[in-house]
Amino acid sequence: MNFSLILRFVKRELRTSEARILVLALAVAVASVGAVGMFADRVKAAFANQANVLLGADAMISGDRELSKEFLEKAGASGLKTTESIRFGSMVTPRLNGATTDTAGAALSDVKAISAPYPLRGAIEVRGEPSAADPRGERIKLDPLKSVPNPGEVFIDERLASRLNLKAGDAIDLGKLQPRVAKVFVEEPEVAGNFLSSAPKVLMNVSDLAASELLGPGSRASYRLQVAGDRADEFAAAIKPKLGPGQRIETVRELRPEVRNTLERSEQFLGLAASFAVLLAVVAIVLALRRYLKRELDTATIFRTLGAARRQTLLHFLGQFFVLSLIACALGVALAYVAQAGLAYAVRGLFASELPAAGLAPLWRAFATGLVLLLGFALPPLVALASTPPVRALRRDMALPTGGGIVAALLGVIAVLGVVMLQAQDLKTGAIFVAGIVALVGAAALGAAALLWGVRRVTRARSRSAWQMGLANLDRRRLSTSIQIACLGLGVMTLITVGFVRTDLFAAWQKSLPADAPNRFLINVQQDQVAPLQSLLKERGQDANFYPMVRGRLVAVNEKSITPADYPNERAKRLVAREWNISSADALPKGNVILSGSYFAPEARDELSLEEELARDLGINLGDTLTYDIAGERATYKVTSLRKVDWDSFRANFFALVPKSNLDTLPKSYITSFHLPTNDLKTLPAIVNTAPNVLAIDVSEVMERVRSIVDQVAKALEFVFLFTLAAGLLTLYTAVVSTQDERRYDTAIVRTLGGTRRQVRDALIAEFSLLGIAAGALGVFGAIALTWALATRILKIEFIASPVVWIVGLVAATLLTLVAGWLGTRSVLSTPPIRVLREG
Amino acid sequence: MNAVNEGANLAASSSNAKMAITADRLNRTVSLGDRELVILDDVSLTVAQGETLAIVGASGSGKTTLLGLLAGLDRPNAGTVSWLGETINTLSEDALAKKRQGTVGFVFQSFQLLPALTALENVMLPLELAADADAESRATEWLGRMGLGERIDHLPRQLSGGEQQRVAIARAFAANPSIVFADEPTGNLDTDTGNEIIELMFKLNRDRQTTLILVTHDLDLAARCNRQIRLARGKVV
Repeated sequence: MNFSLILRFVKRELRTSEARILVLALAVAVASVGAVGMFADRVKAAFANQANVLLGADAMISGDRELSKEFLEKAGASGLKTTESIRFGSMVTPRLNGATTDTAGAALSDVKAISAPYPLRGAIEVRGEPSAADPRGERIKLDPLKSVPNPGEVFIDERLASRLNLKAGDAIDLGKLQPRVAKVFVEEPEVAGNFLSSAPKVLMNVSDLAASELLGPGSRASYRLQVAGDRADEFAAAIKPKLGPGQRIETVRELRPEVRNTLERSEQFLGLAASFAVLLAVVAIVLALRRYLKRELDTATIFRTLGAARRQTLLHFLGQFFVLSLIACALGVALAYVAQAGLAYAVRGLFASELPAAGLAPLWRAFATGLVLLLGFALPPLVALASTPPVRALRRDMALPTGGGIVAALLGVIAVLGVVMLQAQDLKTGAIFVAGIVALVGAAALGAAALLWGVRRVTRARSRSAWQMGLANLDRRRLSTSIQIACLGLGVMTLITVGFVRTDLFAAWQKSLPADAPNRFLINVQQDQVAPLQSLLKERGQDANFYPMVRGRLVAVNEKSITPADYPNERAKRLVAREWNISSADALPKGNVILSGSYFAPEARDELSLEEELARDLGINLGDTLTYDIAGERATYKVTSLRKVDWDSFRANFFALVPKSNLDTLPKSYITSFHLPTNDLKTLPAIVNTAPNVLAIDVSEVMERVRSIVDQVAKALEFVFLFTLAAGLLTLYTAVVSTQDERRYDTAIVRTLGGTRRQVRDALIAEFSLLGIAAGALGVFGAIALTWALATRILKIEFIASPVVWIVGLVAATLLTLVAGWLGTRSVLSTPPIRVLREG
Repeated sequence: MNAVNEGANLAASSSNAKMAITADRLNRTVSLGDRELVILDDVSLTVAQGETLAIVGASGSGKTTLLGLLAGLDRPNAGTVSWLGETINTLSEDALAKKRQGTVGFVFQSFQLLPALTALENVMLPLELAADADAESRATEWLGRMGLGERIDHLPRQLSGGEQQRVAIARAFAANPSIVFADEPTGNLDTDTGNEIIELMFKLNRDRQTTLILVTHDLDLAARCNRQIRLARGKVV
């Protein structure tokens, strides 16, 4: 292989429009993949940081006994920031005039003994002075390093302050101590986790703990080590096997399912946007490649004629192609870096903190994507090219070497599948995409055949209007027309789908989290309190469902006893170790979908409906029997259905549901959820009056965080969409100009033979209009199928038909094709035909 | 006219020497689905080293097909072709390609220059493919000899038709071939330029003792060759 010859060829090739378009198409492909990937990574990291605020850290180890110092040392060795705290429940009473008072009441509080820095993620927020703009006082974040309570002081939250009528400067009784309230805070980060956070919060300095004598032998407390830093996930994975009994490690993903699902879905949405960029890139590359290879055929012929062996020719082309790809990929990566920086700058206001710095991994991925795509599609035609018979130098009209046909297509499909999977990081998404492409190409071939059949019938008529001439042109270039329709259709499909994902699919997701979603749970409701509470809530317009709940531990599957040690999976171990909430519902609860089996009838007995993920973790199948230990009694149920549960819904959801009759004789409490408007100050006191033992749990903060993540994803998607749109337009343009040479030549002949400019213009308009309509129709149908599949199979949200998007898509596709086609070919009208003919 | 006479003398004097080309009972057919179309039917000929031969005939008579077979660009359905006594039909595709390097040169009607390469780079190409270390200096020398010393950095589209064909001739002769094949070398040129090109080719043939085989419609051009063969319906007549 003569490397200097290759470099010289590349240098010269870069002067030709064919090579330039190919390099540009590939660069745009790499740039879109890289920019979207990099931006998505940064946004994802920002979301993760925000979500970590819910935990106050990136990961947290907790245990019911003091934690081994080994964990702390390990975290330090991994370069992680750490903070230790102890959390427990305690009564708090205010001291009035320096003395305990019985009249001021007492409140069970959630006490946390902390030391600086606290928290590792997020901040404790207090209120500033009330102002006209914010009568309650603006929220101010405290510095985690400086603002923890000093010894002898505590911070209490607003709920405790209002319940006990306390303000900064007052003193409270906390164990044997009487600390002063230094600050009243609005919020501190750790709101996720379990429902315990319903009690008002007190933060104290850890050095006061011993003197307070709050924790004696046997006291219930949670000892925690929170860590934050780049290697937190790695640390969590390494620590997991070392945890002792009663200890656990949580990362934000293992927290509330609502948060976990929101994060996962955000990643899916952004990953999808990146996959679309890949798809568009593929179309542009295929088209540009076709034109480029056609040109290279002449070079191959000359090479062969001048005595280059097949291997020599192949090596030369491979080398040339590789260098071209490297240039394009490098250009694309540079573009990607600039574009993502631009994107990040454009959305700078949307995120609470600055976007985390971009890692280089997406750029490498984009670079590899470019190489894989180009070589995937180009390799078979290049091999064919190297076998060009030299006699083609004498007979230019001879058949072209077949470009690897099926092999080329197959390699291309594999390349796309690989790249899409890399983007979507999910086999199923990749498969749906590729199936979509294959189906669309098939449909395009059929559609184009039908269209051309129609065209032939029209053009057979005697009179030859300019329009008929244009249609006849399409028919003559049958293969090119079919390819163009397929590629344009694919472009249109992608653009419509992205638009659809951005608006409708997203709306469907947002709809799953409506403004009036339940934000309060009532637990510990007794049977005789259900009716009065139900009517109380009904008076306030809340139709609350009360679910009975018994606690039971799974002790046997199919009559065989089980222990946590039987399961390798961590989650399964936990599920077997703890008690479950078992509930009952006559009808399938809202937001639940039966995946297999059928939901039991109201009158059934000893049947059970199980949540599918849990069933999978525990290896439980339909028809298995599960035995629970419920308050010392054993109860056995047969699994008759597996359910998917909508964990995003903020409703009361259960892993196991059994028929009502099975719970009749068991001791049980009830749970419900309802929406409490922020300005409603009366409902909760009314509930407490009716049922003083009932615990009301506030999940509005978690919901707020989730909703804000969703809103930010929406904005990020808008920007990513703009990028995909730009790539899409370039693809459309490439598709249209791909037949420019043929069209220029044909037009020159027509003009030479006396065709007027007007005739030629009308013919071109007819041609492009028809192409646009065909591609638009194909694209719209493809988009409907694809979005349906995406909504129902991947994002698992409701598919909303939106005819307006479709009609707009069709019209826009037609107009865009027309405009792009016109811009790409109008020069033929002003170029003297002789010049075109001379250039061949 | 001198050129013709000299060529004729040379041919006569070397009649017993090793033949540059020997073609024996060449047949070439193409399949048209249900029937076979015979393009060349039992064509045999010999061309002596240094001889000039014109292949003439009407359009579709098989001239270009014959040239392709003689030049080893295509393979016959039956019959053999030898270059300098060596049969080329039995060579593999790649061995034949290798054999073409340094043995044969080509001049085409449509010049067949690579549009992205400069005149110099076009001429260098066969030398570089044969890994000739002096490619650049030899190509520069050849272009100078063709009167294109000032235009070596020009792209084909910046050159006139005659200049392009001169670049093509330089490319054909640069690798010092024994045989040069020319397919309608003046077909795309006006009469004056065509004559100029023909003069150049005959001069090179004379100077370098190259065997020249050309396909042409131009009877004047054919008359300047040592010998002509006429094809009609795939047969030598």
